[in-house]
Formats: sequence, structure tokens, C-alpha cells
Amino acid sequence: MTGVDEAEGVAEAEGVAEGTDDAGNRVEGPTARAVVSYLVGSIVEDGDAVTIDADARGRSVRFQVHVAPEDMGRVIGRRGRVAQAIRTVVAAAGARDGVQTSVDIVDE
Amino acid sequence: MAEASLTLEEQGEAARAFLSGLFDAFGYEATFDVELRDAETVEVRAHGDNLGLLVGPRGATLAAVQDLTRTFVQRQSEARTDRVLVDIAGYREKRTAALQRFTTGIVEEVVASGEERALEPMGAADRKVVHDTVNSLAGARTRSEGVEPRRYIVIEPVR
Repeated sequence: MTGVDEAEGVAEAEGVAEGTDDAGNRVEGPTARAVVSYLVGSIVEDGDAVTIDADARGRSVRFQVHVAPEDMGRVIGRRGRVAQAIRTVVAAAGARDGVQTSVDIVDE
Repeated sequence: MAEASLTLEEQGEAARAFLSGLFDAFGYEATFDVELRDAETVEVRAHGDNLGLLVGPRGATLAAVQDLTRTFVQRQSEARTDRVLVDIAGYREKRTAALQRFTTGIVEEVVASGEERALEPMGAADRKVVHDTVNSLAGARTRSEGVEPRRYIVIEPVR
């Protein structure tokens, strides 16, 4: 799509402001982080139980999503459909940041 | 737990709220309009510049965004939400127009040759566009065969 290159340009420009954590450290994939957090938070009942760990290796970021046990079904969906949709949309957000993403819904 | 059922208008507004938050998370500026297409279909359309990333290759990202929008609306409503449609940057509108042109061409071939034609498998929303288009034309009719997700339409001549 034509929007991809332009979108990455915008993300680079905003990267300084958005791409740092509270301590001012550089964070990979700020858009992808915001999007995975928003999507999971929108779908679960128990938002307080959500934690999302991000593990950045070079230009790829792996998100590990933890939710309350009773929310697992909602986040995964029938035949994994919701989890797959989350992965697709987070990948688009990662493209805006210039990173590859993966999303694991962690069963504990 | 799901609350009481939402009206179609309320489902549309819930979908708009979800999409607005999603576009914010992406850092995109967009405006939204919500339209009742008919008695059981509501469409939320996002307009803005450079939204192609959210449409994705062959609309794959748009389809995921629509799935997640329906999941969000479903959380708040016991009503079925498969009639909540999402369009981004006019993609679905353009695709529908292209599918109508394609279908019209096939109908012309079927009428001229008198032989039926099977189409590639497609999703329910696209099949509805094909059914509606064929029904609006003379000389052919549709039937569906196969099982989801490989369900497909056959266009057959009417003698």
C-alpha cells in the first residue's frame, strides 16, 4: 500500500517524543506497544490483570500478553481468531515503527 | 459479562469509540461517520490521509480491524454484531464497486454462452455483493456451494 512508506516517515519524526520510556530510555516499537496495549485492554473484562512484557531484539519486538484466566477465551477467540486479528493489527503498528512484531498470549 | 442488548445505533457508536481509540494509538488523525445501511446493518467509516497501513495487503488489516471492532461491540451487547461493518479510506466501497463490475461481466458471459460459471470461494460479505448484483440483472441467478471458508457462488443461466 502507498501509505506504508509515508507512515514510517511520520513514525521516525515522532520517535524521539514517543519512543522513550518514563526514564528517557529508547523503546523499540512505541506504536506497536500502544496498539497491543489498547487492543488487549479493550477486549478483556479485567483490565487490572493485564500485563504486557516486551522483549526487543534488534528490529523485532516480541510481546508476551498476560490476562486473567477468565479473559483467556476472549483474547484468543474461537479458533484463535481474535488473537490472530490482534497479531495482524499489531504488525501494522510495528511497520509504522519499522519493527517486526510477534504477540504471544501466555497461558499460565 | 455482556450487558443488555444495544440497538444498532448504539453498536455503531460503540464501534466508533473503539476505532477512535485505535487510531489514536496508531497516532493517526481520522474522522468517522456512522451510517445505518439498512434495518440490520451499521457501517462505521474512517476517513483521513495515509491510512493505507490499516487497510493492509488485499484488505487483510482492515478485516482484522473489523473482527476486533465486532469483538469489542460483542463484549457490550448480547445482540449479534455480524452486521457491524468497518471501512477505512473508502477501501470496501471501491472493492464492492470492483466486485459488482466483475460480477456483471460474468453474468454477460453466462447469458451469452448459456453455461454456468463457478466463482472462487469468497467471504459472506463479498458473496452478498455478488448475489445482490446478479439478482439485479436479467438472465441469470446464483446458488451457493461448498462449506465455509471455501463456500463459493455458481452463476447459472435462467432459461
